[in-house]
Amino acid sequence: MAQVSEVTKIRRKVLAEVSRLAFAGKLAENVNDILNTVVTEDGPRYRCCIHKERAVLKDRINMALNQAIGTKLTEAAQSALEGKQVELPVINVLPEACDRCPIDKFLVTDACRNCLAHHCIASCPKKAIMVVQNRAYIDKTKCVECGICKRSCSYGAIIEISRPCERACELKAITAGGDRRAVIDYDKCVACGACQVACPFGAISDPSQVVQLIQALKGRQQIYAILAPSFVGQFGVQAKPGQIVAALRQLGFREVFEAALGADVVVLAETEEFIHAMKTGHPYLTSSCCPAFVAMVEKHLPQQRGYVSTTISPMIAAARMIKEKDPRALVAFIGPCIAKKTEGRQYPALIEFVLTFEEMAAILVGAEINVTKLSAELFCPKGSREGIIFAKAGGVAQAVGDTHAQLLPDRLLKIEHCDGLANCKDLLIKLQQGIIGTNFVEGMACPGGCVGGPGVVTDQRVTARLVEQFAATAEANTARDNKAALQPEWKKFRTSVAS
Amino acid sequence: MIEICVGTSCHLLGSQDLFHVVEALPIHRQAKIDLRGVACLQCCRKGPSVRIDGLVLTEMTPDRLLGVINDNLVLR
Repeated sequence: MAQVSEVTKIRRKVLAEVSRLAFAGKLAENVNDILNTVVTEDGPRYRCCIHKERAVLKDRINMALNQAIGTKLTEAAQSALEGKQVELPVINVLPEACDRCPIDKFLVTDACRNCLAHHCIASCPKKAIMVVQNRAYIDKTKCVECGICKRSCSYGAIIEISRPCERACELKAITAGGDRRAVIDYDKCVACGACQVACPFGAISDPSQVVQLIQALKGRQQIYAILAPSFVGQFGVQAKPGQIVAALRQLGFREVFEAALGADVVVLAETEEFIHAMKTGHPYLTSSCCPAFVAMVEKHLPQQRGYVSTTISPMIAAARMIKEKDPRALVAFIGPCIAKKTEGRQYPALIEFVLTFEEMAAILVGAEINVTKLSAELFCPKGSREGIIFAKAGGVAQAVGDTHAQLLPDRLLKIEHCDGLANCKDLLIKLQQGIIGTNFVEGMACPGGCVGGPGVVTDQRVTARLVEQFAATAEANTARDNKAALQPEWKKFRTSVAS
Repeated sequence: MIEICVGTSCHLLGSQDLFHVVEALPIHRQAKIDLRGVACLQCCRKGPSVRIDGLVLTEMTPDRLLGVINDNLVLR
């Protein structure tokens, strides 16, 4: 992961300040103070003037409050405090923040020597290149951005520039609109969050439920947290799992649940489904725990929809376990993922809140809870080792493979995993064409798996190492060794609501 | 001695990047530094914070920390 940039810091400061005011009970009166505390008169300036910065900040605050952009801040704060939220898309372009990056895709650089060969001019099918001031010049009115000139130049003097958001989107769902502002095509977007991470102006944002959750916690409702397995290290690299649980309890959560236990239930169900699919002549089956991957198949490869497992995700499995035990429970999923916000909305009866680790860390900062200073609660992982390593790319494939080997030791399997949406799409297309023969595919939208998600705070490599260490402390090795996951009452929860 | 705050607030504002700065130094220079994590330096709203030989510096960035290390290690 890249370093924590200034734009990331601003986003996190806004979330932390909003949380701090919400805990202090002063959000409605003092929400406008954030415009002075996060951006100061003498502080560093990133935009043309402080007025522009404050205008952008207002958009960010509305996003943090889960209210429509342009809402008056005092009204937005009041609405959020009442627990209301506007049904916004999960990925939004902040119109004020988008810098409308130029889209001249091909650019002649200083490396042009105005050579005699002029391969660029000769190769251009539109005759859009001429020599101006001793250098090649591309006439933008004629250029169709084919890129032949770039490939033909012997000096590599013509470069291709693309907007960071467009380059980051592996499904080509974000483009420049008429006014050059970024526009998201929601028929293609799967809410993976890659553009949010990539935009150097911080112009892409996901609405946050921090205030709504804080209000629920203050209201002493029965709120349960589900922690995704990549939680280790997210709230301070030296913070132990027991300290994180203690911190969440101090915030007012009734109980902390591991998504890894849900993952074990999922592995058992998915393996059974897989064995059944092989018997009934399915060519292959893919995993279904990554919501962005599932959405990618639905939106981009609809003909393969039938090959996606119908098993629910670990988040939903864990939520069902909680609601079965305590029907009055409200469930908050805390993870590295933005796409889970979309998945949560598909199950409104099971999931009330979806927050990223970044948002949760901001809430803790707002509550002035320093996880590293707390005394740790006794904490033994309830998920198996393989349930925990779901967080790393390849983890699901390994868990399903091992469980399958336990059930049917003589049946040989070909298991493949792919991470990154373009890689996933590629693999599925090759599977369909019969270029490769694989029985089970794990698909993860984020490179590296969930540890590399857009909502993480800690460096991906550090988290991957910490997840391994944490997984090693689990009592059960595989899902089938985990008594908590084997209980027969979970069996009825395994398949999706839709089926 | 360099103590980098690993509290939740400083962590959120990027204190892990400061560790990477020191860990990327040549071995012989790293050997002169006693690098530690510290739970809190009481400057949570101005993070990330670092304490170098007892002096607390706030709103630290990787570039600035590298500058401080270069200035002070050379003198010794």
